[in-house]
Amino acid sequence: MSIIEVSNLTKFYGKSRGIVDVSFKEEEGEIFGFIGPNGAGKSTTIRLLLSLIHPTSGSARIFGKDVVTQGPEIRRDIGYLPSEVFYYEGMKVRDLLKYSASFYEGDCTQRMNELSEIMELELNRRISDLSYGNKKKVGIVQGLLHKPKLLFLDEPTSGLDPLMQRKFFDLIREENARGVTVFFSSHILGEVQRLCTRVGIIREGKIVEISDIRSLQQNNYKKVRVVTEGSGQTVFDMPGVTNVLVENGTVSFFYKGDINAVLQKISSIQVTDVTIEEPTLEEIFMHYYE
Amino acid sequence: MNIFIRELKSNLKSLLIWSIIIAFLIMIAVTKFSAFAGDPEMLKVLDTMPPAVLDALNMRAFNLTTISGFYGVMFIYFGLMGAIAAALWGSDIISKEERDKTVEFSLVLPVSRSKVVTSKALAALFNCVAFVLITWMVSLVAVQTYHPDKAFFDFLRIEMVAMFLLELIFLAIGLFLGCSLKQYKNSSSTAVGIILITYFVSIVSGVQENLDFLKYFTPFRYVDAGDLFRTGQIEGVYLLLSAVIIVVFVAAAYLFYNKRDLYI
Repeated sequence: MSIIEVSNLTKFYGKSRGIVDVSFKEEEGEIFGFIGPNGAGKSTTIRLLLSLIHPTSGSARIFGKDVVTQGPEIRRDIGYLPSEVFYYEGMKVRDLLKYSASFYEGDCTQRMNELSEIMELELNRRISDLSYGNKKKVGIVQGLLHKPKLLFLDEPTSGLDPLMQRKFFDLIREENARGVTVFFSSHILGEVQRLCTRVGIIREGKIVEISDIRSLQQNNYKKVRVVTEGSGQTVFDMPGVTNVLVENGTVSFFYKGDINAVLQKISSIQVTDVTIEEPTLEEIFMHYYE
Repeated sequence: MNIFIRELKSNLKSLLIWSIIIAFLIMIAVTKFSAFAGDPEMLKVLDTMPPAVLDALNMRAFNLTTISGFYGVMFIYFGLMGAIAAALWGSDIISKEERDKTVEFSLVLPVSRSKVVTSKALAALFNCVAFVLITWMVSLVAVQTYHPDKAFFDFLRIEMVAMFLLELIFLAIGLFLGCSLKQYKNSSSTAVGIILITYFVSIVSGVQENLDFLKYFTPFRYVDAGDLFRTGQIEGVYLLLSAVIIVVFVAAAYLFYNKRDLYI
C-alpha cells in the first residue's frame, strides 16, 4: 500500500486552473520532491491532500484512506509545515505548542522540548513578537512534535538562515531514518537534490515528469561542450540534441540517446577540448520549462 | 474542549467591551429616567408628539414615567445590542481563522470541521448567555433606587428571555455567514446589514397597518416590548418561527462549512 496515492486529481478555482489530472504515488519511507515554479500548483496539491480544499474531480488517498471523507483520521499522523506560518498572535510559543499537542494522542512534552532545543526556540515569547524565521521554527516544532508518520513540507527553508537550514535538514533525515515518509515541495532544486530520492516535476498544473533523482541526472541527459577551431559546429544537428548554444567556437548542448553516436560526431571534426558531464538538476529543470 | 476554552479566552476581551458598553448605556439611561420618574408634565409633552414617531419609538405602549414603562422603551436597545454582538461573535469566530490565515494550522489538526464549528458555536453561545446575564444584573443594580414592584421584575425577566432569543437567532445567522461566505471580509458586515434591515422592517411594519404581515420576517417583531408587557410571554407562533430560523441556519452552517474550500 502506498502512503500517498493520487489519481487524476483536478482542481479548478472557478475557471482558473489549480491542478489538472495529477497522478502519482509515494511509498513508505520515501522523500518525494515536488518541484515546480511559483503558481504551478504545488501548494494546491498539498492543500487538497490535507482537505483544506476539495477536489473538482479525481481522488487522493493517504494511508489508504480517502482524503475528503476521512480527513480527521488521516491528519492524526500528519505533520505539516506551510510555506508561510501563521499562528494565534496573542499566544505564547509554549502555550501554542501545548495547544497543538492537546489534539494528539500521547504525551508530546518531551519531544516538544527536544525539538525546541534543537531549533533554538524560545518558548516564553509571544507569537506576535517573533520574526518570520522564528515563526518558521515554531512551525517546524509544531509539525513534528506528535511524531507524525507523514510530513508535508511546503517551501520549508524560506526564512531560515543557512545554519538552521542545515539543522532542519538533519532533522528531516533523522525522521526519515525512523521511517517517516516526507513530501517535500520546493522550487529550490539544490535542496531537493540533497534530500530527495524521487521527484515529480509540476508545471502549469500538470505533472510533466516523475522519476528517480539519479536516473533523471544520469540516464536522461548529458551536457556536452565541444571547443572547435573554425567550422564544424553544424555537425551536431542530429536527433537527441537540444539547447544548442554556439559561442566563439564553443558548442554546448544537451544530449539524450546513444552516447556513441555523439562521440562519432565529435571525432569527425577537429576539436581542441571536450567535456561531457551530468547536468545539474537546475539545468534539467530549466529544460522542462522551456 | 480545547478549542472551546481557547475561544473563550480569545473572546473574553470582546465580551468585556460589550458588557462595559451595555452597563454604561443602562446607567446613563436610568439616570435620565430620574427626570421622567413620576412627572405628569412629561406625559403631556409626549402627547403632543405625532403618533407615528411614538409608534416608531414604541413609546405609545408605555407610560414613560414608570420604571417598567421606561424599561419597555429601553428594550429595543438591549435587543439591538444583543443581536449585533451575537451576530458578530457568530461570524467572527469562524471567519477570523481565515482572516488571520490560521486555518492552515487549526484545520490541519486532527479535528473534523463539524467539531470545529460545534466548539466555536458553543463558545459564542457562552458569550451570549454571559451578555444577557450581565445586562440583567446591571439592570437590577441600576433600578434599585426606584424600589420597583414585582411586576417590574417579571417584565425584566421576560425582556431578558426575549433578548436571549434575539441573540440566538442572530448568532445562528452570524454563524451561518461565517461558515458559508468564502470572503471573510463580508461576513460581519453582511450580518450587521441584516440586523439593520430587519430592524427597519420591524419599524415600518409597526407603523404601516397594511405592511403588518412583514412582522413574520423580522425577529424584532417576535419580541415586541409592548406585547411582552401586556402578555408577559412570547407568542407561540413566534417561538416556533425562531426555532425554525435557528435550526435552519445552524444546519446550513455545518453543511456549507464542510463542503466549501477554505480561503487561504
